[in-house]
Amino acid sequence: MKRRAIFRSPWKDIAQFALLIIVAVWLLSLSTARLGYYWQWYRIPRYLFRVVDGRLVAGELIEGLLFTFKISGVSLVLALALGLATALLRLSDSFMGRILTRLYLEVIRNTPLVVQIYLVYFVIGPILGLGRFASAVMALSLFEGSYISEIFRAGIVSLHKGQWEATYSLGLSRFDTYRDVILPQAIRRILPPLTGEVISLIKNTSLVSLVALSDLALQARVVAADTFLTFEVWFTTAVIYLAITVPLSVAVHALEKRFKVLT
Amino acid sequence: MNKTEYDYIIEIENVSKTFTGGVEAVRDFSAKIRRQQVVVIMGPSGSGKSTLLRCLNGLETPDNGAIVVDGIPLDDDKHHRLEIRKEVGMVFQSFNLFPHLTVLENVNLAQMRVRKKDKAAATQRSTELLQMVGIADKVNAYPAQLSGGQQQRVAIARALAMAPKVMLFDEPTSALDPEMINEVLDVMKVLARSGMTMVVVTHEMGFAREVSDWVIFMDGGQIVETGTPECIFTNPQEERTQRFLSQIL
Ligand SMILES: Nc1ncnc2c1ncn2[C@@H]1O[C@H](COP(=O)(O)OP(=O)(O)O)[C@@H](O)[C@H]1O
Ligand SMILES: [Mg+2]
Repeated sequence: MKRRAIFRSPWKDIAQFALLIIVAVWLLSLSTARLGYYWQWYRIPRYLFRVVDGRLVAGELIEGLLFTFKISGVSLVLALALGLATALLRLSDSFMGRILTRLYLEVIRNTPLVVQIYLVYFVIGPILGLGRFASAVMALSLFEGSYISEIFRAGIVSLHKGQWEATYSLGLSRFDTYRDVILPQAIRRILPPLTGEVISLIKNTSLVSLVALSDLALQARVVAADTFLTFEVWFTTAVIYLAITVPLSVAVHALEKRFKVLT
Repeated sequence: MNKTEYDYIIEIENVSKTFTGGVEAVRDFSAKIRRQQVVVIMGPSGSGKSTLLRCLNGLETPDNGAIVVDGIPLDDDKHHRLEIRKEVGMVFQSFNLFPHLTVLENVNLAQMRVRKKDKAAATQRSTELLQMVGIADKVNAYPAQLSGGQQQRVAIARALAMAPKVMLFDEPTSALDPEMINEVLDVMKVLARSGMTMVVVTHEMGFAREVSDWVIFMDGGQIVETGTPECIFTNPQEERTQRFLSQIL
């Protein structure tokens, strides 16, 4: 009984969510009718896909989505590397290393991401000679890296200290200990929260539209402004984000369930 | 002098260890252990047995005193410590196998990483060792699929794979169900008869009587009484030893 409470099926949540959307749309259609809003859903598909010269090409929204994928992917790889390095440095014997990582974490955690994006874009980027894309990637990686490092650290310290003692008494180096014993176990444990962080990274990329990078959010703004299809465009955009994040969220649940059973 | 000519493989001189919080776990402890000897350490819970044992391979660092293993001083020198870690095997109460690796991979790991053997050579040695401890049919199982007794035997094989000169055992059978204790003790007896130097913290009197050369009875971080198993078990001199022995019998 207790297990059921912990491992609630995500499908129930999704069904509830779908119901909520239907009710919201219904309420909205009532109020838009009063506003005199004139729904024109038929004009939306061409911003997803259109046929040019007999070939299917991506519309603005899908192009924005692909860009969102690209920037999320690059940032994720860098954030994982940075997060792991930060976690290892924090757990190391190096005094300087611990001070530096502490400073990094405090600064990133206690300022808004928007401010960080602007700061990197307008100040640090030009100093380092970074382009717009590189600046945005840097800001996102620094931000996500700080959260991911905490997840790595928690995963590493959650392992029984007997694992360290066993590798110590076998003569394994610190590097081998991490590579062969600690990280493989830690990564299994942190996969669920790590996937959660991927979701938050994808959502956070929408902020790069502030520095005029043509991700999904910016494309939506442009299309909405061009066509006055405000409601249709933003609903579609929300659904696209959900189409990526909900499956990931389901994956998180599934992973949590599997690894809880295993350990 | 060639270091293999040392009579004593472990020399412990006036070792003390106080934990933060003020617990003096080991107090001014001295002892010498000869090659091929089996030494059993007994004593009530909290008397500092584990702490002493863990000092011998550097898992704990003494506040005072000196420890020399096979002619190598256990000091701040990283090379010395590494050399000692390679030469001293340890078996823990809670096995501490690597749960994400198979039995074979557990035993192979240090051979490949520390001794730099290739996989085939490591596997050959591991297979021999696993045969010796009676786990030859479970090489591809994961630790969680084994009983406690089987896990502890794998842990012994894993430590032996480094070809250590000394083996430390910290209550290797205390976490086991009674019916599995003997299968582990039997492996340890075989090892003792093969000439392995062993320091064993245990309350298993039968084992101590049968294979140990020397028994150290500890309390409050200090040696209360030492002697051959016959002396200690049949004619203990100290009142504390008598009381302890009457409790575990
Ligand atoms: N890491 C530690 N930190 C603080 N106190 C400890 C630690 N390890 C052991 N002690 C204390 O040191 C004493 C001796 O412990 P231990 O060596 O484990 O004894 P034994 O193995 O004989 O039961 C105990 O009082 C114990 O509480
Ligand atoms: Mg103990």
